[in-house]
Amino acid sequence: MPAKILIVDDEDNIRFLYEQELLDEGYQTILAKDGKECLDLVQKDPPDLIILDIRMPRMDGLEAIGKIIEINKDIPIIINSAYSTYKDDFMSWAADAYIVKSYDLDALKRTIKEILAKKRQL
Amino acid sequence: MKKILAMILAGGRGERLYPLTRDRAKPAVPFGGAYRIIDFTISNCINSDIRKIYVLTQYKSLSLDRHIQRAWNVLNGRFGEFVYIIHAQQRINENWYKGTADAIYQNFYTLQQEKPDLVLVLSGDHIYKMDYRGMIAAHVQNNADLTVATMEMDKRYSREFGVVEIANNLQIQDFQEKPSKPKTIPGKPDRMFINMGIYIFNTDILVKRLIENARKPDTQHDFGKNVIPAMLKTDRVFAYPFIDNVTHQTGYWRDVGTIDAYYEANMDLLSDSVSPTLFDPLWPIYTSEKLAAPVQIAGFELHNGETYGIALNSILARGCRIQGARVEHSILSPNVFIDTYSQVVDSIVLDNVKIGKQCKIKRAIIDKGVVIPDNTFIGYDRNADARKATVTDSGIVVIPKNTVF
Repeated sequence: MPAKILIVDDEDNIRFLYEQELLDEGYQTILAKDGKECLDLVQKDPPDLIILDIRMPRMDGLEAIGKIIEINKDIPIIINSAYSTYKDDFMSWAADAYIVKSYDLDALKRTIKEILAKKRQL
Repeated sequence: MKKILAMILAGGRGERLYPLTRDRAKPAVPFGGAYRIIDFTISNCINSDIRKIYVLTQYKSLSLDRHIQRAWNVLNGRFGEFVYIIHAQQRINENWYKGTADAIYQNFYTLQQEKPDLVLVLSGDHIYKMDYRGMIAAHVQNNADLTVATMEMDKRYSREFGVVEIANNLQIQDFQEKPSKPKTIPGKPDRMFINMGIYIFNTDILVKRLIENARKPDTQHDFGKNVIPAMLKTDRVFAYPFIDNVTHQTGYWRDVGTIDAYYEANMDLLSDSVSPTLFDPLWPIYTSEKLAAPVQIAGFELHNGETYGIALNSILARGCRIQGARVEHSILSPNVFIDTYSQVVDSIVLDNVKIGKQCKIKRAIIDKGVVIPDNTFIGYDRNADARKATVTDSGIVVIPKNTVF
């Protein structure tokens, strides 16, 4: 079974781009466009990993983190924001990784691979 | 100078103090005639020059809120000094506080706003006098991530406390939660060190460890049970032995978690050894001031000669009137009225209680607003008392607030 990755981002282009790239890598993907949709999916269709944007309408990523952990403590979360300033926010420390958005998705893909490998070992 | 924020945990249910906690949170239970339990901890902060204080509450907090408003609305927010109450806000998740650690975790936003270097985590239900500055200095000097205040105690109380094993350099080796066989102090086989529930954390370590705890599968979200034992493996955790700075002995500290402990701690205020320690003029315990008439102990002339009012070895708050009655070894809160020929011995009587004529009351706690009719006996017949009141194993009778006889 390929790992299922939940992509949470309010920008359609980014969701589309990430989905294509991750499908190419052999993962399954599910998509949410804000924190609220993300929580719905975590409840109904729990993924193996979440890629989480921060600035989103309705519910932002930092608020979503606390609630994701409350529903399911075991799903790794990678924050993927265009801004590095949220690293100062304590709730961002609850994520397993913080990757600043870039056109090059190598760092993100590498981190996904590492975190999933670590999770399989547990 | 390190920037310090105090967070006082005041969210416990206080079930073992029932019925005193039927209508109020444990830190708001009246104490010592004029105070609420939490006044001791907040006064310690103020006297230690720590003036950024959050009180975290959740259950039955109305009377605590009101008290904090009345008694502690004295710091100047303009200079960044405050005592603020924070209720459980469901900001991070939709739960109430699940434990001491969770209470801080759920208030990350507050920590974020203040960005202190150190967080002083305190409990709102302890009676003691302590200068936290000594502990902070030790924390800095030891280059510690966490410092835990500890004190010596007889090992027979181990089932009630967290027991701490300490190395010579004061680094904490082991933590046992309420053990039946505690680790004793080397050279003192009857003594142990206990965790007083007073913690100083480096803020960044606190945040990291609380997040880790929140993501653990089997956790009770408790500092003593979960967070600190886990930190012993990863962080520099030191003990700070609590020594009274006047007597240079182990200081006075009581966790008033049960009715019996509450009763004993009150009665301690009448003892020669404790009273001067707690009521040191250099270390004032502040509270809200209630305007009331001065205490009146009145004689009362009766047809069979003269009787008189008398109060022996007691604490009487303002507004009390002892009218031809006898009060002995007792603590009276404001506006208690005791009528002729009555006797009140070894008891705690809270605000606005009226005791009629020819009553005999012994080893009782009478909560606010109770009106006791003439000729009532309390504390003399266990079975009769148990019908209308809570009676503890040691025989203390508690008459709940506003009981109608």
